[in-house]
Amino acid sequence: MNIWERMLNIDRRWIFLSIGVVSIIPFLTKIGLPVSTTEEVEDIFTYIDSLGKENAIFISFDFDPGTQAENMPMGVAVMRHAFHNHVPVFLTAYTPLGHGMAGGALDYVTRPSTPGYYTSVDFDEWADIRNAGITDRDELEAAWEEAGNVLPDDSHGWVFEGRDFVYLGYAPLFHLVILGMTSSIETQYPSDAHDNPLSEMPILREHKSLREVDLAVTTSGSSACTAWVIYGREKIGLPVAFGVTAVSATDYYPYIQSGQIIGQMGGLRGAAEYEVLLQQNGITETTDKAFTGMDVQSADHLLIIFFIIMGNIAYFMGGFHRKKQLKGGR
Amino acid sequence: MRKDWIGIPALGILLLLASFAAAQDAVEEMTQDADPRPGEMMEDTAGVEGTQLQPAVEGVPEEPGPALDVPGAITVEDKDNDAGDQLVVCFEPPADTSGVFAYNVYRRKAGETGEVSWNLVKIIPVLGPTLFIDGYDPEYPIEPGTRYEYRVASVSLEGEEYFGEPQVAQAVPAGELYHTGKTKVLIAGGLFIFLIFYYFGKAQRGRQMYLRPIAGIEAIDEAIGRATEMGKPVLYVPGLSTISDVATIASLTILGRVAKKVAQYQTPLMVPNRDPIVYTVADEAVKQAYLEAGRPDAFDPDSVFFLTDSQFAFVAGVNGIMMREKPATNFYLGMFWAESLLLAETGSLTGAIQIAGTDAVTQLPFFITTCDYTLIGEELYAASAYLGREPKQIGAVKGQDACKGIIMAFITIAFVLSILDMVADTETLEWVRRIVTVPIVD
Amino acid sequence: MKRTVPLMIVMVGGILMMVQYFIPHQYSQAVFDSYVSWAPIIAAFALILGVGSLTRVHAHKIRRKAENWQYSWAVLIPLYAMPVLAHIWPVSLSGGMDEPSIFHFLFMHIQVPIQATMFSMLAFYIASAAFRAFRAKSALATVLLLAAVIVMLGQVPIGDLIAKWFPQIGLWILRYPNLAAKRAIMLGVGFGILATNLKIIFGVERNWLGGAGK
Repeated sequence: MNIWERMLNIDRRWIFLSIGVVSIIPFLTKIGLPVSTTEEVEDIFTYIDSLGKENAIFISFDFDPGTQAENMPMGVAVMRHAFHNHVPVFLTAYTPLGHGMAGGALDYVTRPSTPGYYTSVDFDEWADIRNAGITDRDELEAAWEEAGNVLPDDSHGWVFEGRDFVYLGYAPLFHLVILGMTSSIETQYPSDAHDNPLSEMPILREHKSLREVDLAVTTSGSSACTAWVIYGREKIGLPVAFGVTAVSATDYYPYIQSGQIIGQMGGLRGAAEYEVLLQQNGITETTDKAFTGMDVQSADHLLIIFFIIMGNIAYFMGGFHRKKQLKGGR
Repeated sequence: MRKDWIGIPALGILLLLASFAAAQDAVEEMTQDADPRPGEMMEDTAGVEGTQLQPAVEGVPEEPGPALDVPGAITVEDKDNDAGDQLVVCFEPPADTSGVFAYNVYRRKAGETGEVSWNLVKIIPVLGPTLFIDGYDPEYPIEPGTRYEYRVASVSLEGEEYFGEPQVAQAVPAGELYHTGKTKVLIAGGLFIFLIFYYFGKAQRGRQMYLRPIAGIEAIDEAIGRATEMGKPVLYVPGLSTISDVATIASLTILGRVAKKVAQYQTPLMVPNRDPIVYTVADEAVKQAYLEAGRPDAFDPDSVFFLTDSQFAFVAGVNGIMMREKPATNFYLGMFWAESLLLAETGSLTGAIQIAGTDAVTQLPFFITTCDYTLIGEELYAASAYLGREPKQIGAVKGQDACKGIIMAFITIAFVLSILDMVADTETLEWVRRIVTVPIVD
Repeated sequence: MKRTVPLMIVMVGGILMMVQYFIPHQYSQAVFDSYVSWAPIIAAFALILGVGSLTRVHAHKIRRKAENWQYSWAVLIPLYAMPVLAHIWPVSLSGGMDEPSIFHFLFMHIQVPIQATMFSMLAFYIASAAFRAFRAKSALATVLLLAAVIVMLGQVPIGDLIAKWFPQIGLWILRYPNLAAKRAIMLGVGFGILATNLKIIFGVERNWLGGAGK
């Protein structure tokens, strides 16, 4: 076996090891390569930026923990954007494990240890203000602060459960749930994940069905995202935006061209672009996890290209291109 | 027989639930007829919904402002293509809108009396459209065949309402028996169905039809034979989707054929499943295949099993099976997502012959690079026609081809038109597009 | 009889749903609504079958002391422990740090990392598969190889550093040539689905009911 043959039949564990090493180094060094934004992501950003407290969006965590490295930053970034603009947010999940992902994202955005967090006010905590008939977003915040509550210095703002967000979570056969929500959200979710009755929530009183919702952002690691197009977009014209893993991003370009979705965040890059847009527009001070991850991805892509080049050099130098069949490196 | 015992109580509970649901529906219907929830309506009218647009004047005594001009005539039409649960409402805005903040639209059943019977069904900002579709609010649904009465109020900045004249709706909501917006779908669907049936018939009459050989399908027997020679099992993954996915159904069809062959050769078979319903059908398919192969005794009840419904836990499970049992042949046929490469690469690591097939376009490159044979897209659906060689099955494949021919013709025409439009600066393509495109319906 | 009844149900159900699509009337809507209500209930019952199957397979393994039977306990114990824990400590999954529960702990610190690990293996496998697959064996394979390299570089910030137009070419490849091929396959798939559905509804395709024969 000559050197070229040995190179072609390299034990794949060496490849695995190189990928492992190259993936870890950028985390330690933090290069911070600049990320430019694309039209697909800018469209989502601009659309959400045009919404206000009278509108509402759904962020659906339609993925399992497996793809959370890619999907979670998308959900988090959109949630931050909505919270900043006081756009009410419904949080849902396509799978049982997605339920935990939605909760995890909310927890992350409202946890004091997260830079630029939002201070969450539980539904019960502001019951007195609600019972006094104050549900308008600005009045609510004024009344809440008048009651002696002070926003921590490092917090980006208040978010009121039932007014700014509601955590609905998972419901079985979610595609049918979407269909049901086109008529009524409350019939599909009589209470939220914390057992608060939806009927008492201002967010629901103003947005009773998907017809009264302005956008659904689905973050998905499978084809679950298409359910929002089939049952939301095609049935009632609900605007939909996708946040999908890089591996399936190419699948959904037809939806952009046909105008069925307003935009798409593809993989970690898409999430990083959204983080960059948030930072550029002063919505967050810094970028987040997706942006950091892009250094890793750059290094990995370069390594894969290096392997492809080396493979081809060995292929031609070893004269294998003259042979009919080449056995792979099993 | 193993799991038949589950079926009996399950069926019992299903029937019980059905009768309970029917009884509940009947009670609800009676309650709705008898009581239109007047108390609730009043509360809702004055409740949260109203406050959204009313400026807050908490603690400040309200002073009635000058009287506002009130909205004029209300016209109500039945909405087309609905289930009789929507009405198109339009009202004339007041001539003078100064001081008007919004309009409140109220509805009640015609003939009802008392202030309490009015429901606030819509709040429209002063500059908003005065035509809207009523019936979307799940709290105040419109009942088919019921005549309603409407009134519209001008709302001042202070929240004072100045009502126009109530107006009994000119139209009664009624459901339609045909959705006129779906005619294009009906024509196209009808044409394609006709073509498929036409070729069914042609094949049935004994007309010989040529099918292009597909290497992946022809390799199935060889792959099973290899496993038999090596005395190792065959692994069959029927995709990760549900039974409602056509790829899964196509896969289960092939599973039946593979299981029959496996039964004849007496090779062990393993079929891990992600979906419980797919598991049940796969189990039945394999059992039946063993029966038809004349080897019901060789059927191992543990050969078809449910693993987990979690995507990556399933992959971990199947990869574990591959590494431990070292199957000689792996089939991945059905719907796959990001797990395709994880499965196929592990399979290639164990040195198995691998045949994959999926209609998930994004996953095809992964299968093509790591598997020996790959069925691309519709080849997966055509597999049962190839394997069975039944005339109707082959006819269906030919019917599909004819349908594709029509689409190709359309694409070619559109291509030519787009070039002509570019040269002659016309808009013929746009005109054709308007004829062909189906708008959002419902 | 065992086959005729299910085939009749499929045929009637299939035709009913097809026709229902074109009829917006309230009775037609009621049929559809009842389907929407029933489907989750049936799916829930199917889960019992799945869990039953998993339990049976692993119970057999343990009873027979088959190879690696100890690991079957690792399947069965969490399978039943997680739902039990969720009901004993039904704290919301979003509880976070201030509302710890065993269920939450197991979910966040075992299930999530394990699943993330499985997905991250994709990076390793893609590298290995790319190394073996991307060879300039022919003119077409060379085009494929070059397209892959451009898209890969265009998707990461390095591409921007090489040249501003680099990511644009990558996007162009994704938006046009890639989409054209994809649409062609999708059209074929669409008609395949139509034909398969018709075969099932009209009983031409029966193998999904079980059995490889007619």
